[in-house]
Amino acid sequence: MENIIEVTGLAKMFANQTALKDVSFKVRKGETFGFLGPSGSGKTTTIKILTAQLAQTDGDAYVFGVPASKLKEARYRKKIGVLTDNSGLYTRLTIYDNLKLYCDLYEVPHTRIDEVLDMVNLRDAKKKVVSKLSKGMLQRVTLARAFLHKPELLFLDEPTSALDPVNTKHIYKGLENLKEQGTTIFLTTHDMNEAETLCDRVAFLNEGTIQLLDSPKALRQKFADHTLTVELADGSKEIIDRGPEGAQAMYNYMSENKVVSIYSNEPTLGDIFVEVTGRKLS
Amino acid sequence: MIFSVKRTMAIFQKDYKDILKNYFVSSSVLMPLVLAALYGRMGVETVNEHYLIFNMTFCLVAAYVQCSLIAEEKEKNTLRGLMLSPASTLEILGGKSLLSFIGTILVIVISAFLTEYKPENILVISIAIVLSTVFYIGLGTVLGLMTKSVMEASVVILPFIGIFSFGSMLTYFADKFPILKAAEYMPNSQLINLANQVQTGAGLLDVWFNFAIILAWVAVIYVIVVIVYRKRMMD
Repeated sequence: MENIIEVTGLAKMFANQTALKDVSFKVRKGETFGFLGPSGSGKTTTIKILTAQLAQTDGDAYVFGVPASKLKEARYRKKIGVLTDNSGLYTRLTIYDNLKLYCDLYEVPHTRIDEVLDMVNLRDAKKKVVSKLSKGMLQRVTLARAFLHKPELLFLDEPTSALDPVNTKHIYKGLENLKEQGTTIFLTTHDMNEAETLCDRVAFLNEGTIQLLDSPKALRQKFADHTLTVELADGSKEIIDRGPEGAQAMYNYMSENKVVSIYSNEPTLGDIFVEVTGRKLS
Repeated sequence: MIFSVKRTMAIFQKDYKDILKNYFVSSSVLMPLVLAALYGRMGVETVNEHYLIFNMTFCLVAAYVQCSLIAEEKEKNTLRGLMLSPASTLEILGGKSLLSFIGTILVIVISAFLTEYKPENILVISIAIVLSTVFYIGLGTVLGLMTKSVMEASVVILPFIGIFSFGSMLTYFADKFPILKAAEYMPNSQLINLANQVQTGAGLLDVWFNFAIILAWVAVIYVIVVIVYRKRMMD
């Protein structure tokens, strides 16, 4: 499968501080790749290097097969959408006027504005002046702007950090639509539920290095303790090993009609992150 | 490299809509006009008096408005959005300069009307005014790129307003302080010198040296613009 991003041995130093060291990963075309880690772990630095806003100290970063530093050309910019924590909007203009500017810059018809505003549930507010918007609405407008031009590759830095659950769901639905259309999404987040919901593969970043990289399902299985929890009719819970002894115990509970529910004891991505890094996400 | 007029005009239209609601910056456009109206009533007799208003217009409209527009883009993190778009450096800076350029030319034309300035050679003066406007827009762009907020830009530009509005007067004291003779080579002094020559019948070829000096200032400031802009593209 074609790789859209290829990073090898990437390192970034700020003065004497190491932001990234020996980071390597590949992002395949059409996948949603999650870059997970606590604040200050190097997520935003990676996005900035991959979007030519920052030069790496060492290593290689290729996007669409060209060095990330070459992405300043218009033909590449048209393929990329970026949402970072410092994506600004023109506060004296309306939502519509803000998006119209970007339609013109990306040579996209203005009819696209209503489509993206539908995706972020803001169509009715398009005449509102940006300075009057709530933090959540601002976040949704900047998101709408990021995928206004139907980019092939979308960088999202904490895309739902300021959103309530209803609007978060709207965004997830919009991102799923983009994924169905073949958009590759590079997502940074410290929200493990978001990563589980959206990502095909995730990388755990901690103190500038990747500690784990795989699909959420594979990671959960890898770190599972291979036991099952059986909830019994009397309200008690029994933990059963997967094996002949566990099968016999399960048979006994079931034949006595005591079983209310059974579930496997897989860890969440958050549990795995804490186990691997010894750090909590914040 | 392809230059997109559409992208340039989109940035210009955005700036136009934005500045109409930005009273802090847009009110500065009125100051030279008020001064021109006052001078017009009092009666302007010398070229130097006309050009005091014109040089103030360059500083307040071309340089200050441009500086504020760029500084605000930086303050609100919107410049990064433009830089990450397909718009090239030339399209972004061209689009952002167009409003200051049109504003400056309009204010100068109205001021000239109010003060009843009638140049002997309109072509030479027009070229000189356009070149000077381009220089001051470059100056405003550099200062805007180097500052972090509109407030900071408003302070940083003050000495430049002083130097480029009234700096030509320093040459009056050049006999006493020879170092002040250097002020003759400033673009504002050159413009006044050129305008005085034109009023005595000089043509385009007679004032080539003044043009050359103003052009040198334009070249230097735009080299600085490109260097600073490229630096600002990266964190």
